[in-house]
Amino acid sequence: MIEVIAPGLETSVQDLPGRVGYWEQGFPPSGPMDRWSFRLANVLVGNAPEAAALECQFLGPTLRFDAPARVAVTGADMRPTLDGAQVPLWTTIAVSAGQVLALGPALTGARGYLAVSGGIDVPVVLGSRSTFHMAGVGGMEGHAIKAGQRLPLGPASDGPVAGTSVAPAARPAFPTDGRWTIEVVPGPDDDWIDEAGQARFLSSDWKVTAKANRTGFRLSGPEWSFAPRATQKPPENGDDPSNIIDHGYPFGAVNLAGATPIILVNDGPSAGGFINPYTVITAAFWKLGQSRPNEIYRFHAVTVEGAQALRRAQDALASAASLVPPG
Amino acid sequence: MIYEEPVLKPGGDRNLLVYLGDEMSFDLNFLVHTYAARIREAGVPGLVELIPELASLLVSYDPDRISYADLGRELKTIRAGIGALEGLELPSRLFNVPVLYFDPWTEACVDDYRATIKDKEPDPDFLVRINGLDDRRHLIRVHSGTEYWVAALGFWPGLGSLMPLDPRCRLTAPKYNPPRTWTPKGTVGMGGSVTCIYPDRTPGGYQIFGISPMPIWDPAQRLEAFRDSLALFRPGDRVRFVPVDREEHDAVAAKVEEGTYLHPEVGYQTFSIDAYRGWLAGLDPARRF
Repeated sequence: MIEVIAPGLETSVQDLPGRVGYWEQGFPPSGPMDRWSFRLANVLVGNAPEAAALECQFLGPTLRFDAPARVAVTGADMRPTLDGAQVPLWTTIAVSAGQVLALGPALTGARGYLAVSGGIDVPVVLGSRSTFHMAGVGGMEGHAIKAGQRLPLGPASDGPVAGTSVAPAARPAFPTDGRWTIEVVPGPDDDWIDEAGQARFLSSDWKVTAKANRTGFRLSGPEWSFAPRATQKPPENGDDPSNIIDHGYPFGAVNLAGATPIILVNDGPSAGGFINPYTVITAAFWKLGQSRPNEIYRFHAVTVEGAQALRRAQDALASAASLVPPG
Repeated sequence: MIYEEPVLKPGGDRNLLVYLGDEMSFDLNFLVHTYAARIREAGVPGLVELIPELASLLVSYDPDRISYADLGRELKTIRAGIGALEGLELPSRLFNVPVLYFDPWTEACVDDYRATIKDKEPDPDFLVRINGLDDRRHLIRVHSGTEYWVAALGFWPGLGSLMPLDPRCRLTAPKYNPPRTWTPKGTVGMGGSVTCIYPDRTPGGYQIFGISPMPIWDPAQRLEAFRDSLALFRPGDRVRFVPVDREEHDAVAAKVEEGTYLHPEVGYQTFSIDAYRGWLAGLDPARRF
């Protein structure tokens, strides 16, 4: 068990691939936003890459362990300390019974991942331990962890020894200038945007606004311009050029509701009445998860097959093959 | 229109959209659900999830098991195998949903919006006026005078888009602009020509005019109706709103509270598009309840 001394800003249990199979009923997949860092945290402690671990947003938690465990902290740099002494990121750490692990505010990135050997053993709800806190489903009683709660752990298997680390080349590289290149596949509704609008989307700076959370990332940027089908359409599609008859929203959709785009992410809605001209690819999700308000996105179009190859390459990096023994 | 051939578009690296048309019609939605059922029956390898919507389907797939191109070919073949709608049937449960129209909770919600966000005509009076109805009682008669088709689920867990099956009961309403920041759980509302029941306290944009004490989703799965699913409705189900008074509303709410409420469900029917079309042909569209 782990006792929560301080919960952090919004620390939640997540797993992979999340809550798959209930999208039709309106349940989003949830799961970690930066699956690259998440998988590496798990393999560092000997868990399956998909095991339930903690996602810590902007400010990490303080936790007391009542039994020995291996832990690893990856993703955003939250300057973890063990009983007050700094411990490294991307490294297997041995924790003794009674020790306190504390994470601070994110110095780079936005989301830190904390995995514990055995995984966080909260009940499986609809096939997943992931937290969908807006609806109170999964995780610790449906929500972010709270002070005083005790997080149950599963049985630990053998894993890497303390001091094992992730090869630097296998870690996601955070930009130092706050500018991110986000890969998208055009579609499903790219044909609602005119050529000038498509060129503008891919050549403009888009700023992440303060309205960025696990539901969606609202961006500010230039105006959109539309193809004739956005304005000349049957009336049941709605009045605004960005309105369409309610349709399913793919994970990562760049959703255009009126004038401002919102990238729909892990806890986003499954359907609605606005167009999605572009979709962020799975391999670029970690960048959304690690970007902060006021940082800048540039979008880069790739093919479906190119996006799938990027995701395979990323999953191969985010595996036990990238671990380096101590010393 | 309903497209001769489905239009397939990628939604990133693990989803694709299949547009079957660009209108909001019962025929097109019936085709969507027939198509969804055929896709499931076909057992396409690598298929993960389907979200049938009003005029389209979102299909998620595992790219390590099937390519975008191969999945597209499979989906086009299945669509071509459906042909005309004549003779098609879908299983369809009927739910009788008790509604207290013009209840104090939605009234308080509208009053709060008018006071803190934007003044507007109260939703029931607005609906009466723009739909050419006589008064609020007429709104109840028309709104509860038809069965509704559960055309899609989504946006929020359990939230269904309900289309009136009797065209004489079709009402229209623009959505709130800006949207409400909160809506009481169980609220009955309308936007466009779609009715919904809010599964929980959520933001919203529909005009609201009633409340149901009958839960339509239950993450704790306390009630019997939620034993197999957290959401009550499935696409292709039907809903009938049953006007109740405050006493009956409170009686239902009390049974829900103690966990003994039985959802009024009719589970032995199939929906035949031929029978529906025959019934439609006999209606006099000029007469309304």
